[in-house]
Amino acid sequence: MARIALVGAGVLLVILAFGSAAFAQSDCSKIVPASPWGPNDQTGATNRVTAAVTKAAAAEIQTGKVITMSYPLTDGVPLFGSRFTKTILTATSLAPGASYGENELTYMEDTWLSQSHVGTHLDGMGHIGRKDCYYNQTPMGKYINQNNMTRLGLEHLKSFATRGVVIDAVKVFQAAGKFKGNPACKKPCLEKGTVITGADLQAGLKMYNVTLREGDIVIVHTGWGDLFEQFPAQNATFNSGAPGIGKDAATWLASQKVVAVGSDTWVVEVIPGENPKEAFIVHNILLTDNGIHIIENVRTDLIAAEAAATKRATFFVNMTVPKGVGMTGNFVAIDGIQ
Amino acid sequence: MRLPTPAIPRGRRRRRVRPRLRILLAAVAVILLGIGPPAAAQRRWVVAFANLTEEPSVTLEGTGFTGPEVRESFTLAARPYPIDLVFYDNHRDDARAVANAESAIARRVDLYVQYHRGVSANATVGQKLQAAGIPVLAVNEPVPGAPLYTLDNAAAGRMAGEALVQFAARAWPGQPVVAVVIGSVSAAAEHVPERVRGVADALGERLPAARLTTLDTRGTTAQVAPLLGAFLSANPSRKVLIAATDDATALAAKAAVEAAGRARDAAIVGQGVDRSIHGGINDRKEIDPTNRNSIVIGSVAFYLDRLGYEVLPLALRMLRGEPVPPRTTTPHRLITAANVFVEYPPYDMN
Repeated sequence: MARIALVGAGVLLVILAFGSAAFAQSDCSKIVPASPWGPNDQTGATNRVTAAVTKAAAAEIQTGKVITMSYPLTDGVPLFGSRFTKTILTATSLAPGASYGENELTYMEDTWLSQSHVGTHLDGMGHIGRKDCYYNQTPMGKYINQNNMTRLGLEHLKSFATRGVVIDAVKVFQAAGKFKGNPACKKPCLEKGTVITGADLQAGLKMYNVTLREGDIVIVHTGWGDLFEQFPAQNATFNSGAPGIGKDAATWLASQKVVAVGSDTWVVEVIPGENPKEAFIVHNILLTDNGIHIIENVRTDLIAAEAAATKRATFFVNMTVPKGVGMTGNFVAIDGIQ
Repeated sequence: MRLPTPAIPRGRRRRRVRPRLRILLAAVAVILLGIGPPAAAQRRWVVAFANLTEEPSVTLEGTGFTGPEVRESFTLAARPYPIDLVFYDNHRDDARAVANAESAIARRVDLYVQYHRGVSANATVGQKLQAAGIPVLAVNEPVPGAPLYTLDNAAAGRMAGEALVQFAARAWPGQPVVAVVIGSVSAAAEHVPERVRGVADALGERLPAARLTTLDTRGTTAQVAPLLGAFLSANPSRKVLIAATDDATALAAKAAVEAAGRARDAAIVGQGVDRSIHGGINDRKEIDPTNRNSIVIGSVAFYLDRLGYEVLPLALRMLRGEPVPPRTTTPHRLITAANVFVEYPPYDMN
């Protein structure tokens, strides 16, 4: 009887272990390319931000003017899918009689109840994969638990102290006579579904006589962020799609060895995509295949305007803190310093 | 005729001929580079698409898709091609369809995609465009002399029938089964009877014991509950296979089956795979990997929301002078919880 029970339990274990295709582990060496930085690499493209890259990037600072490239994370901004964010300010000590001591100390604190991929945010290596295979052929099913992942976390990120390059896709499309905008935008914006190609990016670089360097961060201004700024009025339109880079542009950017690609849309890539049967394929190309970070909802209008005014599309990327009373070390916002 | 070459010493001839050759080669290069291939590569074509209707409340081909969705598919599909689109609305009106073709002739479009139901109007449109030297590509309804891209309603119906047969064999082996086709079964203009025939053929071949009943809602989904309710009451101890002719009917059938307390006795397959059934990222999706136990076990895709992706490559081949088959059909496919996210990735939020 005990033997039967043992055999039964064994069979059950085998069924549980192998019976569901959904939990099958893929051969990731056939699905995702290997990292050029070796089998243990969890960092990705920020490996390219060397001391020499940072030093060269610092030379881009000419006036020291700081331009914000983040949107404030506040309630009501457009969010992807079922994501949520909620900010709560504790300011009870401002009530009469609630201050402390003879010095009448008062205080305030923030609370964020938020998912990480909201507002201006960075996609890490653990965000997007093919099947169960993530950056550097990592079988992620082996590296997740109830609370977090144990590989490919952003703690492996190296510095973003590098050169940023803004590409004004609005100007590119206007100059090429193929601009098609969206009437809901108060400032010129490319219409959703507009595919930005590698040739368009190169035309944008040529406008400012910039050649990409290894270790650059590329920021694409589409104008679509104008709808984000109108939140909540235009949230539905903002979320309905986006102009953005297509597969050709993503592949070209990867060949240029950039470390991150950002844009003023919720997705960076074009939506609807070029092939309706592919889902967020540019995310796969940049993050999964090349370890290149994606930065979404970047505020690009100010840096694009600065580039137009100064005829300089390059800047030093600075990480700072977003709007709030205080901040843990885990939150960042992005500035460009010209 | 060959002219005699004067006897010139070799070295001297070189000196005299080379500059001429250079000029000649340079001229040829200028012609080739400046006018030849690049011009051909940059050639853009103007393709007109005359849609059946642009009325947002009118659904097409007995499915849940609308004319604006079809037009949008052309806009999106054209993005990688050297094609500029001109849109017309045939408004389901013969006179309008002919006037649209005349307008396109006046605009000298390079190719005309005609989606219209009037037989005589299509013949007139075909004649006028042919006389103007403009090639025509017909969609879903023939235009004499033009290649046709069309739905294959019979194949789609057969696919739905086979899915139901397979489900019955797997879930209810040896149990008494009846089958019903429900929807706008008599809508001949939209070729729905062909779908019904396809279902009947599959059931007749694979599950002949299952008696097939046809319930005509005449385009009113409100009729689904009373018609199906009566049918279920008349078959209290049988399993029921339900082929709905569209997705709205499939969802209404599901509600009717549940209201009758017969969810364990029924399986439903729809037709179309419109948004009501696969949905966007924020929608509740009937066909969804997390909803595998739905009695709506699948729906046959008609891809009218992707029509442009199928038609424009054919148009491009015609414009390039390449042969195209006289009839190309939609690659219908059964969409289930297992493949819906592959066929329709829910990346859109609205």
